[in-house]
Amino acid sequence: MGEDIDTRKINNSFLRDHNYVTEADIISTVEFNHTGELLATGDKGGRVVIFQREQETKKQPHQQGEYNVYSTFQSHEPEFDYLKSLEIEEKINKIRWLPQQNAAHFLLSTNDKTIKLWKVSERDKRPEGYNLKDEEGRLKDLSTVTVLQVPVLKPMDLMVEVTPRRIFANAHTYHINSISVNSDCETYMSADDLRINLWHLGITDRSFNIVDIKPVDMEELTEVITAAEFHPHHCNLLVYSSSKGTLRLCDMRAAALCDKHAKLFEEPEDPSGRFFFSEITSSVSDVKFSHSGRYMMTRDYLTVKVWDLNMETKPIETYQVHDYLRSKLCSLYENDCIFDKFECAWNGSDSVIMTGAYNNFFRMFDRNTKRDVTLEASRENSKPRAILKPRKVCTGGKRRKDEISVDSLDFNKKILHTAWHPTENIIAVAATNNLYIFQDKLMWSSDYRFIPDCVYF
Amino acid sequence: MLAKGLKRKLDYEENMAGAFDSNPGLPYNLQRQLVLNMCLIKLQSCRMLVEPNLHRSVLIANTVRQIQEDMRQESGQQALSVCGVETYTSTQTGIEFLGTSSPVLHNPSGADNTSDSMENPNENSLGVFSDDDMSSAISSILKDLDFMEDTSPSPCPAPAEDDVSVECAGAPSEDRLQGSKPADSVFGSFEITNSTSYLTDLAFDDIFEDIDTSMYDTDLCLLPATPARSLSGTVDDVPKPFHLCNSSSVNSIQICRVDFKLVFQRTY
Repeated sequence: MGEDIDTRKINNSFLRDHNYVTEADIISTVEFNHTGELLATGDKGGRVVIFQREQETKKQPHQQGEYNVYSTFQSHEPEFDYLKSLEIEEKINKIRWLPQQNAAHFLLSTNDKTIKLWKVSERDKRPEGYNLKDEEGRLKDLSTVTVLQVPVLKPMDLMVEVTPRRIFANAHTYHINSISVNSDCETYMSADDLRINLWHLGITDRSFNIVDIKPVDMEELTEVITAAEFHPHHCNLLVYSSSKGTLRLCDMRAAALCDKHAKLFEEPEDPSGRFFFSEITSSVSDVKFSHSGRYMMTRDYLTVKVWDLNMETKPIETYQVHDYLRSKLCSLYENDCIFDKFECAWNGSDSVIMTGAYNNFFRMFDRNTKRDVTLEASRENSKPRAILKPRKVCTGGKRRKDEISVDSLDFNKKILHTAWHPTENIIAVAATNNLYIFQDKLMWSSDYRFIPDCVYF
Repeated sequence: MLAKGLKRKLDYEENMAGAFDSNPGLPYNLQRQLVLNMCLIKLQSCRMLVEPNLHRSVLIANTVRQIQEDMRQESGQQALSVCGVETYTSTQTGIEFLGTSSPVLHNPSGADNTSDSMENPNENSLGVFSDDDMSSAISSILKDLDFMEDTSPSPCPAPAEDDVSVECAGAPSEDRLQGSKPADSVFGSFEITNSTSYLTDLAFDDIFEDIDTSMYDTDLCLLPATPARSLSGTVDDVPKPFHLCNSSSVNSIQICRVDFKLVFQRTY
């Protein structure tokens, strides 16, 4: 168990040479905690890095909002399953914060098979003056102890301690794609390709299988679970998405086994628009409940859709993320990009949605004004305090000066993971091994002014 | 074009995919075959992995199923024209087919029938020039596939191609262009793949027979003829007749079925 204890002063040593990208440095998940004070990222190397927002000071009122490295630790190590002769990657698939209940923070992190509960706590005092131990913790020679003293707590430099509290293993045959903490704050679920398990946060040796779509004969397998999430307010409701583009809402009150969904959200297929890759592009890569709990958002390869929980027949809104790729699907299939799993995020008021695209572009859609914008996360464009310029992709016809043509998009630079601060207009965007944090000083509806706040490499 | 004798699988595929995307006028059948080929290659590579990505494998498998279904429906339309046409199964013919048909890929003149799959593609575009490089590229793929076959759990890959190849080699190229046979042979396969017990019915030898050729000998070359046939063919008939017409391409489908099973079960 590789557990590191770091102080917040490691900031500089953490910054890596940005020209040298190793696979392990690629960010694989980004997640704000419930207050937005902390931001956690996981990477392919099994590390978790936690950023903390700087508190506003009287001296520098405008400095508020910058995120600094708070702690970094090795969450998962590569493992080997000797029974199946399988290597288990250390890559962090998902991180979820638990609602804060005391001074410490807790988060769940998972790789393909094993979920871990971590406690992140601060320590700024240490006990001194033990009777039987010296300063280094070694036992004293009892003959030297002549007087009894009362140990005291002395202040010291702030230290962030990260300790593993629970390890939930051996419950998933397939790769875990989602974890979600229930609103009851006592249970959480984990979903893999074919099953969803329900856990109690305090019990590691047992979980309940609540969804199982594995056919008896694996040959008949045509559908997998791609993502799953609990309802933000109703602890009995959960939704899971499938590779066929459907959403199933389950009510755990109905039965212990949620194999029968309460609602099935599915858009009728447009027969005229069918093409070879229809099924692949309609596979849902992410599903998120809105903060209000009224809506769900799904991301598939080409679109983002917003569903009303009260309407199963079709989404209430559909936004095109990069429709210009429709003519390139064969190449994208050939180079496997078509299997990329883009995530999506709501803003705090559920009025704007954000999702990633290629070429380090990410898209935002204002649900009220129906305006949309393409922004770019790049070092060149991200000078501190500069305003992000909207980018435009030229889709045929004559390319204007500041437009970029579809053919020159870089498909290796993709933004799969994004997160939105729970209440403010601060977003975190993971572009390969770079984390960009932008914040909007103005209200979003007035302008698309995202200002790079800090950039971590 | 391709460099002599140096091209390998990936380059070939890239080329195909690029041709697909940049040339929406490609005949529907050719597009479909292209996608099917890519699917099969991807499934093969999935199979080589210790723990394949289930999500990805399922999506690819479903794409193959969809294309199968599509071909089956089409075969219903072509029911009459199909029977009695001999099949081209040999490795050599497969290569030749691709070789002769490759100009289509690079010739944008093949009619702008983006949407209408039944439209007649430009026959003249075929055989405008034949590309030896392409053939060599493909033969290298076939070798690769042979190799994969050897490493697969199949007890014995059964080659039975030589006789056919002779026959095919003798066939005039025009005939090849006219026959919709490879396509038909694929249809024929559906009969078997559709039966619930196809795996138990067949010996492994049969299943793996001809894997390499069957993946490539389909309608790449026959596109021009196919539309004509389909126009004249009867509609919506169950493709029973094809059951007999073919033995070769059946295997391509069986192979991918086997893939599904292996790929999925491996992950368990």
